[in-house]
Amino acid sequence: MLLLQNARIASENSPVLLESDVLIVEGKIQAIGSNLAIPEGARVIDARGRILMPGMFDAHVHFRAPGFENKETITTGSEAAINGGITGVVMMPNTRPALDSATAVATVLENARDRARIPVYTSGCVTKNREGKELAEIEGMRELGVKMLTDDGDTTADPAVLLRAMQYATEFGMFFASHCEVPELAGPRALNEGVMSYRLGIKGSPACAEEIIIDRDIRLARAAGAHVHIQHVSSKLGMETIRWWKSRGDVKVTAEVAPHHLLFTDEHIGDYDTNYKMNPPLRTQADCDALLEGLKEGVLDLIATDHAPHTPFEKAQDFISAPNGITGLDTALVSLYHHFVAPGKFGWDLVVKRYSAEPRRLMGLPVAAIEVGQPADCVLFDTDAETTFTKDFMKSKSQNTPFIDQTLKGSVDLVVLGTEVLLER
Amino acid sequence: MARKDLLDIASLHREEIEFLLDQSTSFKKLFTRSVKKIPALEGKSVLMLFYEASTRTHSSFEVAAKRLSAEVTNFNVDHSSITKGESVRETIETLQAMRTDYIVVRHSHSGLPGMIARQTTASVINAGDGAHEHPTQALLDAFTIKEKFPDPRGKKVLIIGDILHSRVARSTSTLLQKLGIEVAYLGPGSLVPKYVPASIPRFTDYEAAMAWAPDVVYLLRVQLERQDVQFFPSVREYHRVYGITNTRLAEISDKGLYIMHPGPVNRGVELCDAVMDYERSLITNQVENGISVRMAVLDWLTPGGDFPKQEAYAAQPRAGSTVIMP
Repeated sequence: MLLLQNARIASENSPVLLESDVLIVEGKIQAIGSNLAIPEGARVIDARGRILMPGMFDAHVHFRAPGFENKETITTGSEAAINGGITGVVMMPNTRPALDSATAVATVLENARDRARIPVYTSGCVTKNREGKELAEIEGMRELGVKMLTDDGDTTADPAVLLRAMQYATEFGMFFASHCEVPELAGPRALNEGVMSYRLGIKGSPACAEEIIIDRDIRLARAAGAHVHIQHVSSKLGMETIRWWKSRGDVKVTAEVAPHHLLFTDEHIGDYDTNYKMNPPLRTQADCDALLEGLKEGVLDLIATDHAPHTPFEKAQDFISAPNGITGLDTALVSLYHHFVAPGKFGWDLVVKRYSAEPRRLMGLPVAAIEVGQPADCVLFDTDAETTFTKDFMKSKSQNTPFIDQTLKGSVDLVVLGTEVLLER
Repeated sequence: MARKDLLDIASLHREEIEFLLDQSTSFKKLFTRSVKKIPALEGKSVLMLFYEASTRTHSSFEVAAKRLSAEVTNFNVDHSSITKGESVRETIETLQAMRTDYIVVRHSHSGLPGMIARQTTASVINAGDGAHEHPTQALLDAFTIKEKFPDPRGKKVLIIGDILHSRVARSTSTLLQKLGIEVAYLGPGSLVPKYVPASIPRFTDYEAAMAWAPDVVYLLRVQLERQDVQFFPSVREYHRVYGITNTRLAEISDKGLYIMHPGPVNRGVELCDAVMDYERSLITNQVENGISVRMAVLDWLTPGGDFPKQEAYAAQPRAGSTVIMP
């Protein structure tokens, strides 16, 4: 039994934080109210001034297992999630071997059950070995609970292959997540084409490389009657393309944005800092501003980190040689608070909606909420405290993040899932 | 306070540039003497780390270092294993262990010399990194222009060609602008990024560019070996649209314009043969000036210590380095 006293409860439905006591008994929220009686044997936590919200859910993470366990494992990745107030994740299938069969998925899910303290879901590949040629064993993966199909890391290049996959898998209630990039246009460097790419002397990746596929994949989904989810939108025009398609209402489109695309621009790359090298690349302030508007409007349905760990050795190379990607799970919630909620750019309701409720809806999962009768799945967040993202603080196996050694406002103090207290600071 | 490294032009202060150009003048006068060597870097070691093929830059640095009495070592770069960043890092560790004083580095990856500089106490000189910077080329270009225009402020330099892949265009345009020289670009739409700084006008046809009335026409080398992607239909068409043809040379000659080129020249592409004999071609001057400029740079940098990047500069040469004139 756990009694949280005087917590300020955040919900996706209201910008107002309701101050109340919350009693958790046997993994369920049993009571919410003022001055709840302290049951015998209950542990009491004074939560005054702190925010109580449902656990976040990240629909786009790379846990690198199997194949790249030197970067991350299911254990370290899920601990990083807990560290950041995230109580459920969806893995991407670009592992080695790629998750393109029921056998591969079964192994991962079994490992996840044994090694993670939070639910770890996985997506499956659209095509075998993500090669964009032959369809993966889609139905076999569905039987194991896979709902999202993606060749993430790459676009499924051949539109005919993707269209056929959509026509086939939609029958099974599955949906497609699209990494949007024309490789011939984007090039290998993951740097936005612009002032910075000129200054650094690196061939830039134009936003149109992303926007073309956003449009293409939505058109394909419309033709197939499929649901397409656009991953890590980074450009203003990409967001506006999604907005236009959504306004038509004749195709099911959802989309996500990563905190780093809201927060950083190509200017942050500065002197070739590989912590800012990611794909799609960081673009301009105008793109950041547009993405923020898109998030508030709901054009972008959810926030997902694209948590992409790489070893220090790999990231310590020069900018061109270093791999794309940054970690995000340890830092996402605090950075969203520090940069957006604290300065009043959006409220906790938006955080809960976009980073907890919508991603669970996308995956067809019950939405977590601080309501009587709901399973306990909650995070207590201290807005007065600060977090310094030292290497020791990070639970991810890799620390390739621009936030390293930064101090931001806010702290994830407590994470409760069911009968377990997963984290307490 | 001196600098440890020369990685780019962008971070150089005007005082530093003028100091280096003045020093280059002094070093150039040395070339007329029977003994061209001075002991400024005696006992120092210069390591040449060229991951990309180079003839003139490499030999220019080597001659410059030897004229300053430094020991020069050519690091044997195995071209088959240098594409991976980890190889470079291992090399840096090796170089650090060797306690070399100067590292002259050329690499196809932009930013790599900076990475080396942060990990070694040696002075690192960027001899060209990808399409990023080639600071000593810019200095020798500026030096060559200043020989013709001692007060170059307000002069105009038209840079023609492949801006997209050109570290020379970036460094030289930045440096010339710092000296008050106007710069404009002309080149194929596929080879001139639309995000060039607003301070550099961009022309799309030769006649309009000439109407801008440049004092110097600076031709960039068409890097045919890098054109794995087709940026223009043919070299013949390039020469016709952007090259100095015989007809254009006559016009240039009439107007008394200077022609520059970082070399090596593709004859019949950037320029017709006759340009090489044109009396206002500064192409060989550039090569000659490269040595004195690089001597000035080597002499100026201070290896060792923990130098913060882009340190403010106090324009005082080191003791012993200015007394080169009889």
